[in-house]
This record gives sequence, C-alpha cells and structure tokens, in this order.
Amino acid sequence: MSSPGGQGGGALSTRGAGGARRMKWALELSLSNTRSRGDRQGGQGDTMYPIGYSDKPVPDTSVQETDRNLVEKRCWDVALGPLKQIPMNLFIMYMSGNTISIFPIMMVCMMAWRPIQALMSLSATFKLLESSSQQWLQGLVYLVGNLLGSALAIYKCQSMGLLPTHSSDWLAFIEPPQRMEIMGGGMVL
Amino acid sequence: MSALVCRVVAFFCLLRASAAVFEDQVGKFDWRQQFVGNVRFAAFDAHSQASKKLLVATEKNIFASVNSRTGELFWRHVDKTGQDGQIDAMLVHGQDAVLVVGNGRLLRSWETNIGGLNWEVVMDTGSFQTAQLIGLADIVKFVAVLKKSAISLHYLSNGHQKWVENLPDSDTVQYQTVYSSGNGDVFVLGLVPHSHIVVVAYNIEDGEIMKQVSVEAPWITSLDSSCAVVGSAVLLCVDPVSSSLYTLQLNAEGRAEFVHIPLQSLDLEAEAGFHPVVIATQPHPARVPLKEFFLQLGPERFILLQLKDGAIAPLRDFNPANLVAFATTGEKTVAAVMSPKNETACSINLFSADTGRRLLDTTVTYNLDPNGGKLNRLFVLAFLKKDDSVGYRALVQTEDFALTFLQQPGRVVWVREEALADVVTMEMVDLPLTGTQAELEGEFGKKAAIQDGLLAMVLKRLSSQLILLQAWIGHLWKLFYDARKPRSHVKNEVTIETLARDEFNLQKMMVMVTASGKLFGIDSKSGTILWKHYLQNVQPNAAFKLMVQRTTAHFPHPPQCTLLIKDKDTGLGSLHVFNPIFGKKSHIALPTLPRPIQQSLLLPIMDQDYTKVLMLIDDQYKVTAFPSTKNVLQQLQEMASSIFFYLVDSSQGTLSGFRLRKDLSTELMWEVVIPAEVQKITLVKGKRANEHVHSQGRVMGDRSVLYKYLNPNLLAVVTESTDTHPERSFIGVFLIDGVTGRIIHEAVQRKARGPVHLVHSENWVVYEYWNTKSRRNEFSVLEQYEGTELYNSSVFSSLDRPHPPQVLQQSYIFPSPINTLEATLTEKGITSRHLLVGLPSGAILSLPKMFLDPRRPEVVSEQSREENLIPYAPEMPIRTEWFINYNQTVSRVKGIYTAPSGLESTCLVVAYGLDIYQTRVFPSKQFDVLKDDYDYMLISSVLLGLFFATMISKRLAEVKLLNRAWR
Repeated sequence: MSSPGGQGGGALSTRGAGGARRMKWALELSLSNTRSRGDRQGGQGDTMYPIGYSDKPVPDTSVQETDRNLVEKRCWDVALGPLKQIPMNLFIMYMSGNTISIFPIMMVCMMAWRPIQALMSLSATFKLLESSSQQWLQGLVYLVGNLLGSALAIYKCQSMGLLPTHSSDWLAFIEPPQRMEIMGGGMVL
Repeated sequence: MSALVCRVVAFFCLLRASAAVFEDQVGKFDWRQQFVGNVRFAAFDAHSQASKKLLVATEKNIFASVNSRTGELFWRHVDKTGQDGQIDAMLVHGQDAVLVVGNGRLLRSWETNIGGLNWEVVMDTGSFQTAQLIGLADIVKFVAVLKKSAISLHYLSNGHQKWVENLPDSDTVQYQTVYSSGNGDVFVLGLVPHSHIVVVAYNIEDGEIMKQVSVEAPWITSLDSSCAVVGSAVLLCVDPVSSSLYTLQLNAEGRAEFVHIPLQSLDLEAEAGFHPVVIATQPHPARVPLKEFFLQLGPERFILLQLKDGAIAPLRDFNPANLVAFATTGEKTVAAVMSPKNETACSINLFSADTGRRLLDTTVTYNLDPNGGKLNRLFVLAFLKKDDSVGYRALVQTEDFALTFLQQPGRVVWVREEALADVVTMEMVDLPLTGTQAELEGEFGKKAAIQDGLLAMVLKRLSSQLILLQAWIGHLWKLFYDARKPRSHVKNEVTIETLARDEFNLQKMMVMVTASGKLFGIDSKSGTILWKHYLQNVQPNAAFKLMVQRTTAHFPHPPQCTLLIKDKDTGLGSLHVFNPIFGKKSHIALPTLPRPIQQSLLLPIMDQDYTKVLMLIDDQYKVTAFPSTKNVLQQLQEMASSIFFYLVDSSQGTLSGFRLRKDLSTELMWEVVIPAEVQKITLVKGKRANEHVHSQGRVMGDRSVLYKYLNPNLLAVVTESTDTHPERSFIGVFLIDGVTGRIIHEAVQRKARGPVHLVHSENWVVYEYWNTKSRRNEFSVLEQYEGTELYNSSVFSSLDRPHPPQVLQQSYIFPSPINTLEATLTEKGITSRHLLVGLPSGAILSLPKMFLDPRRPEVVSEQSREENLIPYAPEMPIRTEWFINYNQTVSRVKGIYTAPSGLESTCLVVAYGLDIYQTRVFPSKQFDVLKDDYDYMLISSVLLGLFFATMISKRLAEVKLLNRAWR
C-alpha cells in the first residue's frame, strides 16, 4: 500500500549538482516550488501532517461478538436461498418455452446445474450453518429447496421432451431379433 | 457437342443448388461405358485416307461409329429392341450408310461423319432378302432392296423410289441375290431347291424385265453361301454332294447352262461333312466383281482361286487358315489371311489378290486371349502407304463378342468387350487388404493374443508400426514424386497387383456375368477391366446365378464366387467356381450334378475354411451340398430342421415350401396354388440377405413406437392376369411367409397391368404397374407393422407368430414408365433409403423412400408434422436434380445393383443395360465425410494462427506481469 500519505507526508528536496533534474530524494517543505512537477499525487490539503498520519479513520477489523439473532437470520437466509429462487425459475421456465433451441437448453442446464452444485457442496453449507441453533432444520430446508429446484429442472426437461421416458427413446438400443429359420429359394431356374 | 451439353446440365444443376453432383464432381466418382453389342455388320469408312471411322451395326439394333484410333464411340443410334428395330443390312458408300431396318420395313440413310439421318423411307412390309448398291456408269446411284416377292430401286441421294417390280413366280421361286456390275442391268437370282435357278435381268432405268432364264440345277439348295458372282457376271456355285464347282454366264446370249468343274480336276477335295463356302468380293458396286475368290473347303482350309476365261486356276492354298477377308484400296485388292502360328498366337498376312503372292512386311501377329473365345470374323482396312505399298489395320471379332483392332506390326490398338452390353447378373466383392493391413489384422486378432506373450506382442506391435511408417513414407515419397510430373501422367494404372482396399472400402471388384457366358472383373473406381474369362459351351439362353461363397474377409483364404449355369434345354446345371479378384478358376472338386437343377440356396452355415454352404435342389427335391465336407454335413444335420426353401413354378402356378431332412432329402411343408389359367406368377422377391435394419420401429408423433414387422422369410409374389383386356386385367400382390406358407397379405389391383417392378426391403414393398383405367403408371407401397408392442424382441421365428401384422398401403401417380427399380443399401442401415428408378430415357432417378410412405397424411396434424410426414399428394414428382447420372444416360437400363460401402452414408450403384454406369449415392448426404470443398487451408491457417497468437500473447502476458512486479 503506497498511499500518498506515506511518501508525501513531508516535503524534503535536495538539488543535485550540475543543474541535473534527477534527484535521489527530496523533501519539499514548501509546496509552491514543486507545483511545476505535476506528478505529485493529490489528496493533500494545505495543512501539513506529521509523517505516518492519515486523516482517514482506519476500519476496525477485529472480530466482534455477534448478535445471536443476527446469526440466526443470516443462516435462515442461506437456508431459504434455493426456495426463494423457485418463483424466479418458474418465471424463466414459462418465458423460455418448450422449443429446443440453444437458449432454453442453456437455461435448463443452469437450472439443473445450480441445485446439483449446491447439493454437492452440502457439507460446506452445513459448516456455515454450524453456529446456528436451528442448524438441522435449516439444513433440511436448504436440502428441500435444492431438491425442489432440481425437480423443477427435471420437470422442465420432461416438458421439453428431453427425458428418455418413452419407448421410442430406447428404440435405437433394440437389437435386431435373431432369426430362427434359414430360408431361401426362388423361381425355378 | 457432348461437352457443351454436359456444361449446360452442370450449369442448371448449380442453378438449382441441388442434391445432384456439381460440375467439378463430374466423373470424380462415377464413370460410364457405352457399348453396342455383338457386331453383325462392320465397315470401314474408307472414303478418305485420314478417316478413322468404323461403322458397326449390331444385334442389339444399334448403328454406331467407332473411332478406330481409340475404340471410343463417335456416335450411336439406339433403335427399338426386338424385330422392329433389327438391322437387316448395312451398305456403306462414301459418306452414306444405308440401313435396312425391321425386316425390310424401313430404309434409312445416315451421314457417317456426324451420324445425322439423311433420309428415311418406309417400304412395304415383306420378308426382306437382301439389299445391294447399284451403280451406273461408274457412279453408285441406287440401292436395290430385294424382298420375297418384289424388288425396288431407290435413289441413294434422297431415298425416292425409282421403281418397284414384282418378281415372277415369287410363290415358288426363292429370290436371294441381287447382282449388278454397273452396265445398266440388275440381275435377280432365285432358285427352286433341287430343281433350277432363275435369273431375271431388269433394266435399271424403268424396271422392265430384259431377260428371264431358268437354268437346270438339280443339285442346288441355297444361293447364300455356296454361290457368288465372280468376274464379269459369272455365277459360281459349289456343290458339296458331287464336290464340284459350277459356273454360269449370266449375260450369255441364248441358252445358258452350268459348266461343271469337278474339284478333283483342280486337285482339291472338300473335307468330309463340311459345306464348302465361296467368298468373293465386288470392290466397287459399279464395276465387275473380282476374278479371284476364296473357296473354303474345311474349317481351317481356304484356297484362293482365279476364274480366267471360264477356267478356274488355284492361286494359293492356305492350310491352315482361320479367317480370310478381301480389302480394297484404290485400284488394289488384297486378301488378308489369318493363320494359326502356334497355340497362343495367330498371324495375319496380306496377299495380292490377283497373283496370290505374299506382300512383304505385312505380317501382324495376333495373340489369342487364353480367356477369350474363338475367332469369328476378320475385317480389314487396307490403305496405300506413301511408297505405294499396301498397309492395313485389322479388326478381329471373336466368339465372345470382343472386337480387337490391330495395327502393324501386331500392336493391339484397342479392344472393345461388347459382351458387356448384355450383363445378366453381377456382384460386388470387397478388395483384399494390402499385405500390411492384413498383417495388422492378423496380428491383433484374438487368436494371436492368446498364443503370444506380452513381450512378443509389444515387439510385434513395434514392428508393424514400423512397417506402417515405412509404407507411409513410401506413399509420401510417391506423392512428392508425382507432384513434379505433369498431371496427365499421374493417373496411375489400376492393375491386379496394385489392387487393395481403400480406407472406406469404396473401391470394389465388380464381377459381371454376361449373356454370352463371358465373366468380367471390373474395378469399380475406374471401370478398368481387370480380368475376363470366357466360358465356352454356354447356351445363349442359359440361366445364371452368381453367389459369393467366401468374402475377402477371411485372409489367408482367397475369396470365392460360384456361378451356377443352367442349360435351358437339358435343365442340367453346372458350377463355375472362381476367385473374384483374379478371375482364376479354382481347382475345387465340384459336385456331380446328374439331375436338372431347380434352384440353389446359399446358407449362412460356414465350413472350416469359411466357405458358405451352397445347396442345390434338383428336380426330385434332393439336395446337394457344396462344399460337402464332413463338417458341413454334420452342421447340416444339426440345422436341418430349421432350413427351409421354396420353389415357384410359374407355369404351374404353384409355390411350394420344403424343409430339409437330416438325410438331405426334403419334405413338402406347404403349397399355394395360384390357378395358372387366371393369373400368372411373374415375380417373386424375398429380402436381400446382406440387408441391415438399424431401427426396429418408427417413432410416432406422440413418441410411442410403431414396431416394424421385419420378417426375414417374407416373400412378395406378384401375379398378372392372363386376361389382358383393360377392363378385366388385374395384378395381384401377395405377401407370403416362406417358411409356413401363410399368406400375410393379399392385394389385388383391378384394372392394372404389368410389367410390375418391385422392391422388397425392410418392412416395405414398393411396386409399380400400369393402371389401364386411368392410363398411367402408378407406384404403390405396402408397409407392415407389428403394432405398438413387440411380440418377441429377441428371436424371430415364422412358426411362432400368432398375430398378423398391420398392413398399410398407399398409391401414387408416377409420370413415367420405368425400366427397373432398386433400393439403396448401406452398411448399417442407418441412412435413409432411396429408391433408384431406371427410366426408359436412360436417367436414373433417386427417389426418396420418404415420398413412398403409406402413413403420409391427407390432413396435416400436429403429430404428423412432428413425425416429418409429407402430406399426401397423389402425384409423385420427378425432379431433374434427382437424376444421379446427370447427362450420362444409360441406354436400355436393365438392372441396378446396389452395394454398401465402408461409409455409412455411401451406397455404391451400378446401372447396367446397354451401357454400364457406376456411381455413389448419398441418400442422407455425406454426413460422415468432410465435403469436397472443405476449406482445409482456412481451417488449418486459423488454427495455426490462433496457436501462435496464444503463444505470443502468453509470452507478452508473462513479460507484463514481470514488469508489474518490478514496479
């Protein structure tokens, strides 16, 4: 973090010999002389601060004791997240229609993939919910939400005709029947 | 001309952006060969020195001009088949060729340069005897046509009739010959066998009978080959019985009489049992015939004789000689004599006709083809060289319909295999793998893996990879080497040695059986004849059946084809077993077939050496197996109860089914009798044995399945009514199970008439007939379905099929009659099917089967749309872009053969008739091949560019990151 406060706290400058404009270092005490350099970072008032002083307050990053209710609320948010998505998904489903083209397919894939992903990282979510007292209930709700989400995706696939639920979908796998008799012949030559 | 047509067609193809070939694809994978058939008359167009035309008229009713330098056709006129178009005589004079067609019905004159018709005259019908060019005062002006009862004279320039005269006593006298020497008289010679000869002389100007004499000749039987006019109007006849010659002065004043000259007086003698033949020549129709003539006294003995002042003197004795011919150039007439040199070669020599002396440096050696037929005829084109000596070219016609054109000194200029104009049946056989391919195949087979250890396998692998690398480098080197040569030289010749299967198995060997009994092996890629084999002693009307007993897949066993030849007269069958790649007859012990053969049946049972078993059924329904090793007999005994065969006797109207017993006798299982007096069985078709059906059902609009009724034993039988009255005629189509004899379906099409063309495949039958009521051709399709449930999905047995299938039928109007019908065939049967329709116009139409679908709805519904069913329309379109042979018409197409290739999208097609046309069709487009115009350059340059761009940008990104880290 090279904040301007660090470098430009004091203005000190030393002129090199021979009129060269390069200098090893400079501490400028009066600002009027350096205006012409132009590459000075701004953000400095007219007042002069001691070195290391910053006029912005430093945020307090130390862990605070949380409010119990707040944790609960946050955990419920996490748990109810998938359920809240369902109306949105329903809307998308309705909008995308049943034709098989690239956009509906992408939507369906996304809809199906998100709950699956969530279910795969279930343990991580549970860890998140660990601090809550209603951990099991929240976990169940989260699970149900995701299952509902995937059920919705499956339903969508079904309505789009992407599920192999008909006999015609397995037609290609039917082996030709073996023939039991050998037959041949023809017109008398 | 043809190039222009070709371009125009290609242009229209492009214009339509069609499924047909593009211009640059013309000839890329297709070829056509045109034939004319067995030559009946041939004449060299000798009116100018530089002319290179050979005019031929053939038994197939074709008049054509052949380029004598290359053997290609300049032009060809295909007349009607049968008696109507039969060419009775061909007379060539200058640039005109006069043909008598259809038993003297038509007289036509053709311009020989471009093959245009000069004129055509319709004559009275009547039995044609002979035609002759008639000259007057050294100019050929007329053509005389002699019929049984009349002679007519026509102007050569416009065909107008000069005069026609009835022949005197034509009911008793057989008039056979016309003779004129250009002096104003036309002699007509007739005879009453064993009695006398009649000579009638007509005035050339008005047809008035100048003279009519009758000469006693109790020995005469025919004028055709035993008599000829020699010298100045001397009729010379040979009598085989008394072994003597007779001469008669035709224009003698007063009483004419035959002069008797015994052959003994000339120290000659006819061979016993041989009818002597007189061969004379009249070099110019307006001048007298030559004094010299050949007398054939035996099959291999010819004598050149000279008639001088009423006396006959032998000039030279040719013994042995195969063939003789006269040829005239300018004022010189020479005799060409072909005599056997040794077992495998003949030599042709020229002899001066007036002295019989041999001309120097005129020997042409002709090597007899060991797989060809005997010599048949010799035609000689003589010409004067710059030094005034006589040079010549010779055309040799052999028994197997081959024409060989020879040039001095014995160079074969070209060979035309005219037997191919009548292909009876054919098969396509896979080419063998190359040595390396075969090695790889053998190495990594299952057997090898068990035998060898791990290390040995690794070593083998390495060595075979090395071999492959070597082959690849060799190939690259060849490519590089060829690239420097001009393009015309690169076209490498296909020979039997270089034959190898290509990676997609697109190149195959076409084994063709012709009616003359000559077999051909033709490379399907180029059309080169790789081998030929002439089967001697094959009757002209014999029945052939060609079977592939062992394919090329069983290396190191050679492939094996078997041809069953059945003699129509005796009914006896014989087998010809050969290697289809090399055409060599294999020396396998053939079964003796003492009884007439009824049918044959190729079983899927294999011998130890992978030969499929051929069953031959004789007239007592006894079975002969070929090969009949112990192994085969044992297998047959085990399988006997499931081997069935059927026989259809069209004359009796019976269809009968038999089952094999363990002792190779048979028992009658069923019999269906179709009364032969009402309807006649014209066609029986089963399914092709090598057909694969990929999909067992059809998906309906509601996504349920309609299962196909795929009975491999199903036969489609077509009957036609014997009553041909348009109101009462009908055709019947029966679907009969060949194992049980059960009639699955029966359809009678009233007011319909044959000929019926039929294709039977998968679960459908398509047939075409003539609707006599509406007077149009109609297609009808029958499809059989099991329903939405499969009765037994694992095995199919005709004996256990309680439910009859549902049969759907629909008919369509087709705007053209058809010659032949066949369906495309692919490796796995995934590709959609097309019907290949050979039209009389010579086009081959590739008609999607989709159009012939009995489920085509009359009213379009959501479900039918889902199924992609085309709404029903009664008219079937013929779209010109469906013609797979663009402008390469196949005349008189008789059959179409389809074979699968290694690519699922591609089906090989051979159409044969008068011509042979080979191409590939892609019924579902080329879904498994990159297109011809695929831009390899663009794709690879883009790929390379992207690759380098990634490399460079990666480097740049690294530099940038480093810089940033330093900052």
